[in-house]
Amino acid sequence: MESKRPPPSALVDSYVVPGDIILDLSEMTNQTIKIGAGLRQDCDTIQATSAGMLRLSKPNKYWVESSHKSYIPSVEDTVLGVVVDIKPDVGTLVYARVVKANSIMNPELSCMDAMGKSTEFTDLKGGYMFDTSTGLSRMLLSSPTCPVLEALGKKLSFEIAVGMNGRVWVNAPSPSNVILVSNAIIKSESLSAIQQKVMVENLLQRVS
Amino acid sequence: MAMEHLRWRPTVNERDFIESALQSDLRVDGRRSFDFRRLDISFGREDGSSEVQLGETRVMGYVTAQLVPPYRDRDRPNEGTLAIFTEFSPMADPAFEPGRPGESAIELGRVIDRGLRESRAVDMESLCVVAGKYVWSVRVDLHILDNGGNLIDAANIAALAALSTFRRPECTVGGEDGQQVTVHDAEVRDPIPLTIHHLPIAVTFAYFGEGNIVVVDPTYKEEAVMGGRMTATVNSNGDVCAIQKAGGEGVMSSVIMQCLRIASVKAADVTSKIRTAVEKYATEKALKKVKRLPASMSQKTNVSDVTMVDKGDDKLGSQSVETLSDVQQISKDPSVVIEANDHEDAKPMLTESSTEVKTTSSSGAAVESDEAQEIRSPKSLKDAIKPKHKRKKRKDNRS
Repeated sequence: MESKRPPPSALVDSYVVPGDIILDLSEMTNQTIKIGAGLRQDCDTIQATSAGMLRLSKPNKYWVESSHKSYIPSVEDTVLGVVVDIKPDVGTLVYARVVKANSIMNPELSCMDAMGKSTEFTDLKGGYMFDTSTGLSRMLLSSPTCPVLEALGKKLSFEIAVGMNGRVWVNAPSPSNVILVSNAIIKSESLSAIQQKVMVENLLQRVS
Repeated sequence: MAMEHLRWRPTVNERDFIESALQSDLRVDGRRSFDFRRLDISFGREDGSSEVQLGETRVMGYVTAQLVPPYRDRDRPNEGTLAIFTEFSPMADPAFEPGRPGESAIELGRVIDRGLRESRAVDMESLCVVAGKYVWSVRVDLHILDNGGNLIDAANIAALAALSTFRRPECTVGGEDGQQVTVHDAEVRDPIPLTIHHLPIAVTFAYFGEGNIVVVDPTYKEEAVMGGRMTATVNSNGDVCAIQKAGGEGVMSSVIMQCLRIASVKAADVTSKIRTAVEKYATEKALKKVKRLPASMSQKTNVSDVTMVDKGDDKLGSQSVETLSDVQQISKDPSVVIEANDHEDAKPMLTESSTEVKTTSSSGAAVESDEAQEIRSPKSLKDAIKPKHKRKKRKDNRS
């Protein structure tokens, strides 16, 4: 076994498109790498199969993080769901956890956490829900807190629930604040951290 | 109705919020009640194609024309025709079924058709070539690419933008009987734009509450919540070309009058946007043409005009248009022919045996030329693998 660490791919944290060669395996011997979503092995190379950011979890896990409008459920994701077939509750919004997910059947949601207690998962009352992309919801859930939410949170008080499925629910005492927060979030998808802060400040100035 | 379940329904939260926010004069996307969303008009490479983006709604318009016998022989022998076709792609909205237009698809086509035709926006008489025999039939295809609400307004703008940039080939009438129609190629005579008298702009209003809350240009979500809708087609002169109010809540006549006043203001706005976009496209196109001229002069393509012989055949018009494109292809052929000749010269070299024959009678210089040929002519895999000195030896043995 070689003690030398495999050199990380030059493309880590940059944008890749399908067909991009991430790693050349012929130069790496006796090493294990793990590849996740959006990557595949083709002979001696690892290629991207979807467009997005290449991520590396040290020492050897690679995957591509992409943003989609549609969500493919996977177990243990927290999502925002809409009740469709229980008669009096049709149209109710719930914050829930995916417990079963496969490609054949509809996914199953639960409002209990893994310990069997219904702690944070519940139906959401009032407020406003809007759809974004999976990439944006991942950004909102990331820690440390993303710049938009931080900038908004300094000036306004609001409740927010973000599902991995791209749905975001916002509630605040006044409707104008709900609208402001939701529009700030929708606009922030393609902005850098500084741009996000500037955008939020501009929005806040316009309102006040 | 089978796909009805795929129609997006708002959650209780959204419905309540949108309604309560409107009570205090707020819209969920931060617009004021009578603001349109951002409007972008772009054009394709060819004349008569447009793409309109209104907020998240995207519509593509495409205009084509054909020479046909007049549709209503008896009463309108000297008028062309204009038809609107819509295509609702399931990509735009999962509720759209391919090949089975829903209620909204038919309504959209009709509203736009009515706005354009009944107001006589496009001059039909100028589309006549030979009265009672040949007229131009203009076809507008509207492809809905993304449904973000208010498809009617977006599709109407797309149709107008496409019609404004459309050019039909020029044709002249001649021959012994004065009935022979000659369609000129675009290279020979510049195609002619349609005569458009005015631009009828559709402005859609959504009604909430008991019809006393009015907003313009509703989004997808507002459309799902609204109680009623009205589309007023108005031009920039303030003439009302068409009104569509299909079902939904009743609205006071005073509200409708107010809506019409707002519509005419919005129509003036949109008209100027379309005009500037069309002008920008026209100047870009003109500039390109100026640059291209020297090249086309030197290459002098001899495009023959297509002459239509009167066979009294109903489908004659469409046939002749097809032959037109054939003629264009033929005219571009000379350059292709030259290339083909080159290929034939190179062909004998492709076979391995011939190159070997050359090298057997070789001095040093000949080997060099052989190398040069190797670069040019594709070799078999065997040659690529074999080291050079080995190959030489074999040739020596043979000689």
